[in-house]
Amino acid sequence: MKKLLFTVDKVSTFVGRASGWSIVALTLLICWEVFSRYVLHNPHAWVQDAQVMLYGVLFMMAGAYTLAHGGHVRGDILYGFFEPRTQAAIDLVLYIVFFLPGIFALTYAGWNYAGDSFAIRENTFSPEPLPLYPFKYVIPVAGFFLLLQGLVEIIRCLICLRDGAWPSRVEDVEEVDVDKLKKMVEVRDEDIARLDEYVIRQEGRQ
Amino acid sequence: MRKELRFGFALMAAILIAVAVLTPWGNLTNGHLGLIMLALIVVAIMLGFPTAFTLMGMGVLFTWLAYRSVNPELAVEQTLDLMVQRAYGVMSNDVLIAIPLFVFMGYLVERANLIKSLFHSIHLAMARVPGSLAVATLITCAVFATATGIIGAVVTLMGLLAFPAMLRAGYDIRLSAGTITAGGCLGILIPPSVLLIVYGATAGVSVVQLYAGAFFPGLLLAALYVGYVIIVAKLKPELAPPLSQEERSIPLAAWMKGISDTISERALPGLLGALRGRRNEAVPTRRILGQLVIALLPALVWFGAMGLTYRSVTAPVEVADTHGLQEMGVGSEAPAAGAEEPIADGVQEPLADGVAEPPADGVQEPPPEGAPPAVAAEAPPAAAATEAAPAPSPSPAAGTEAARPAPRWFWVTLGVGTALLFAFYAVFTFVRLEVLLGSFFPLALLILAVLGSIVFGLATPTEAAAVGALGGFLLAAAYRQLNFGVLKESVFLTAKTSAMVCWLFVGSSIFSAAFALLGGQEIVEKWVLSLNMTPTQFMLLSQFIIFILGWPLEWTEIIVIFMPIFIPLLAHFNIDPLFFGLMVALNLQTAFLSPPVAMAAFYLKGVSPPHVSLNQIFAGMMPFMAIQVLAMALLYLWPSIGLWLPQLLYK
Repeated sequence: MKKLLFTVDKVSTFVGRASGWSIVALTLLICWEVFSRYVLHNPHAWVQDAQVMLYGVLFMMAGAYTLAHGGHVRGDILYGFFEPRTQAAIDLVLYIVFFLPGIFALTYAGWNYAGDSFAIRENTFSPEPLPLYPFKYVIPVAGFFLLLQGLVEIIRCLICLRDGAWPSRVEDVEEVDVDKLKKMVEVRDEDIARLDEYVIRQEGRQ
Repeated sequence: MRKELRFGFALMAAILIAVAVLTPWGNLTNGHLGLIMLALIVVAIMLGFPTAFTLMGMGVLFTWLAYRSVNPELAVEQTLDLMVQRAYGVMSNDVLIAIPLFVFMGYLVERANLIKSLFHSIHLAMARVPGSLAVATLITCAVFATATGIIGAVVTLMGLLAFPAMLRAGYDIRLSAGTITAGGCLGILIPPSVLLIVYGATAGVSVVQLYAGAFFPGLLLAALYVGYVIIVAKLKPELAPPLSQEERSIPLAAWMKGISDTISERALPGLLGALRGRRNEAVPTRRILGQLVIALLPALVWFGAMGLTYRSVTAPVEVADTHGLQEMGVGSEAPAAGAEEPIADGVQEPLADGVAEPPADGVQEPPPEGAPPAVAAEAPPAAAATEAAPAPSPSPAAGTEAARPAPRWFWVTLGVGTALLFAFYAVFTFVRLEVLLGSFFPLALLILAVLGSIVFGLATPTEAAAVGALGGFLLAAAYRQLNFGVLKESVFLTAKTSAMVCWLFVGSSIFSAAFALLGGQEIVEKWVLSLNMTPTQFMLLSQFIIFILGWPLEWTEIIVIFMPIFIPLLAHFNIDPLFFGLMVALNLQTAFLSPPVAMAAFYLKGVSPPHVSLNQIFAGMMPFMAIQVLAMALLYLWPSIGLWLPQLLYK
């Protein structure tokens, strides 16, 4: 079971990370276009469409990746204080009530939407048109991966309900990785611990 | 049960009971359903499920209910259509593109690891100011948070660097904690901030104008913080004792010391004097020249930038054409119209506008960049799509137009900037040259370049963000922090953060479509108008509601869910959505500092010595929250603090 969960996690992570590289392409594309437009006075009409596509792919395909690592913003005013079992019960219910219908509808509708676009080989509305239908297929594909990841999260909720503790996840980079930041500015735990004397001294004075 | 839980559940129960009591169950209209949905979403978000999917799920359900009441047979199909169109609308929204780019820039700048030398150098430069460590902390936070926009990282890093320094120097724990947490949150207000992009996209307000408008309120808030710290240090020195003499002195390189002692303490005259051979101090000329160039860098950059601006504002329409594509927000779209159009919607609209205006119109002529927003935002998207002439090159008529005289704002800016520059060189000693150049200038330069090019209309926010990301990349490379691992991590983090923000947009866009379909907006409008409020009362009420919402919710949720409800009301009270946005941005600062979910406090607690309690940190944040409220009051009483710059530039 654990293997299955990890496999799906890894697939989501791989897809999300791969699409994440489009930020580099996006940066370079726009910088090149800025140079071309303002210095060489040679703007390109297709760049506008291409940058929208790169951005769309970037965030849509990273949705499952973010879910796999608990990165979607939660209102955690109460959630953080709950027992793991309570958390899992709430999550389980809401995955079934909100997540599954929502994402399933999105995937299904997205499939038809992209299919319509594919049927007419839709292009962007521009003098230098790009094919638009592959971009529209991003919706059902991203939805599919989210759905898959959502099912895995539901299994996690069930495991947590049974065991009373959240099952582990695949490791990933974190926005605020305290250990890494400590290393970056060369502060050690002992230094922090030693500071306590100043705190205690100050409190003693008061 | 814990206190927090009991309180939260009481709040949820209160909302549910209010809904159950107030709803006229006998004749339930769609509008009532909309209000019920709004109340339920607050409860659902508080339960802690990822907000994007809560919004999406609830939006789908209520959209279906809305369509079913009209035509049950088509309801499912219409719901699916609306949903996918809304999702596609977010995917092809060209305001939001700037978000991943600014986020990427932030991660790269963070990894360049400038903060340590930045803090150190600012501290030394400020050594004589009362409460110098706290002041330096605030300034470091402001600069670093502005450049990176990652509150968690800034607070953690400052907690590791500044907190120990302040504690060792005998600073009060509460004051130290307050400066770090409050300073770290400045990044969400001072542009280029992601919050303002999100607001701009939601409210259909030009991001460029928001950036121009938020600049001075941001500086005002930072200045108020600094002022508060200085006053506290003056009045109660025991809370922030001054540094000892040897802690203040900065070791200078021997040759610099020579010049400094014999010729002039100030960097510029000193170097020039040494160059002329007067008491040459046996320093190689090349080194003096090198230092001179570095010392002159601010002046060079300033005049270079103004030269470029001059060229662009006086040049015929050449650079004006891409600007307006930033202005098409999700918020300005009619519920179902948004997605059917090709991505290029509205792209060329403003161009037509810019060209139609004869550019050689006299001194007061604003740059064409300023004109489009209102036009673009009001034009219905469908019309924009049909009008969108495919990327014509600037019309020949405009191309051959003679150069325009520079507008007045240009000369004002030039004058003020140059005066500041002189003042800067007057106090620019060798000591400051030594400490500031290493870290402060590169960051300040990056921020000002990005911001300046946006605000002066040289580039769109997207373009400036992309160039800024490249700048962050080069910065990390210049400080030898760049390797493949760092790049990889920045990319992955960017992907996650962008997905978090933009999926929230997908969810909220479906949700607000459902709210509009159910007619909830009309009921809210009717109700608000029936209260007969004055604009001031309305402003106070709305800001108070946002302030309260900031307690359980995060700023992203507040903006994407509640702004679509407030924005349409503004017209009734003659409130400028731009001004409202600035108030909201200031207001949401408090959301970061209000317990018990104040993110900043928890990040600081994570790296502080064990005996520092959360309550001490919270207590330290309170005065700064009061200052935020004061800043809001100041901005409300003198709106020109925020509106002066955008009006000067774009009206």
